[in-house]
Amino acid sequence: MFRASRYIKFKQFWILGIVVFILASSPAFAKDLFKWFPFTRKDSLGEWQEKIFKGRVLYSVYEDKKSGYLSAYSKESASGIFYRLTFNPKKEPMASWRWKVVKFPDKKEGDNSSTAWIEKDDYAARFYVIFPGITFNSTRSLEYVWDKELPKGNIITSPYFKNIKIIVLESGEKNLGNWVYEERNIYKDFKEAFGEEREPGPAGAIAIMTDSDNSLSTAEAYYDDIKVGYKNEPESE
Amino acid sequence: MSQNQNKRKKKFVGTSLQRKLLILIFASAVIPAAIIAISLYYLVFNLLAYQMGIPEFIAYNLLPVVHKVNLIIFIAVPISLFLIWLVAIDLSNRIAGPIYRMERELNARLTGEKSGPISVRKKDEIRPLVEKINKLIQKG
Repeated sequence: MFRASRYIKFKQFWILGIVVFILASSPAFAKDLFKWFPFTRKDSLGEWQEKIFKGRVLYSVYEDKKSGYLSAYSKESASGIFYRLTFNPKKEPMASWRWKVVKFPDKKEGDNSSTAWIEKDDYAARFYVIFPGITFNSTRSLEYVWDKELPKGNIITSPYFKNIKIIVLESGEKNLGNWVYEERNIYKDFKEAFGEEREPGPAGAIAIMTDSDNSLSTAEAYYDDIKVGYKNEPESE
Repeated sequence: MSQNQNKRKKKFVGTSLQRKLLILIFASAVIPAAIIAISLYYLVFNLLAYQMGIPEFIAYNLLPVVHKVNLIIFIAVPISLFLIWLVAIDLSNRIAGPIYRMERELNARLTGEKSGPISVRKKDEIRPLVEKINKLIQKG
């Protein structure tokens, strides 16, 4: 009798443990705290993953006495840095960062040929928010870019995949060489890009990329103070 | 009995037993294969996409591979289903065919149209059963 009740308790304990494990490991329940990437230390990139597409972009952290920043230099190359995190874009919709473009990739202006789309898919600075789907082809992504030509505020679909929406945040050379602060409501942008009826799932990663592989040129940009997953007012740092 | 005579002429006798067996064999081959194939398909591509991370990289590197695999699947699946269907017909006929034949032969003996032992093919699964029935007929 005693043994049987102990066995039941032991069994219940295990069932509870399995249920807690499943819930805890589910992306819907997983939640990271508000993330801030100040890039103040040389090893700040340690927790980021490098993803190489065509050649390697030189990502490095420059630190000085006051602060630091992330530098990206691309020479006919495309690679990004990628950080996995989870936040609910409906509850914590805000993301902000500072960026500075030093050099735009040299794209062919006015080229409207069928291949021009891909050739023009080089941006001095990109900031991604990635929403993983249940399957590999249901992943969606918002891509904020700073481009030399595309009009500010434009939302376009990537030539590679319909689930990638490119939002032009900055345009032209007016602020070339200057730090520009951006703050976006990810939830609102998702709705605007993918349609009001579509609800975003949990965001699963952010990424940064500077590329110049298609235009076979060079591009350089700096990034700093990336904050993601907070409500309208930034949490105390 | 010659080789040709030994072969069954009709592959589908059309009895309810054969229909049930046919569906059972076909489903038991297709359903687990489909579950495994779909699971592997999504597992492999989801893992690759997870590793690639950035959506452009997934779209550029993985989606062309997915399209090629889909094309192969599109061609291979109907052929595989047809082959499984043929095998299922043959297997179901091996079981249902002799039973159908034995039933006919027994009816013929009951009505007096035929007499003597029921002939049975060497490879028939129900040969031992028919042999026992033949012994009963001989006793009677």
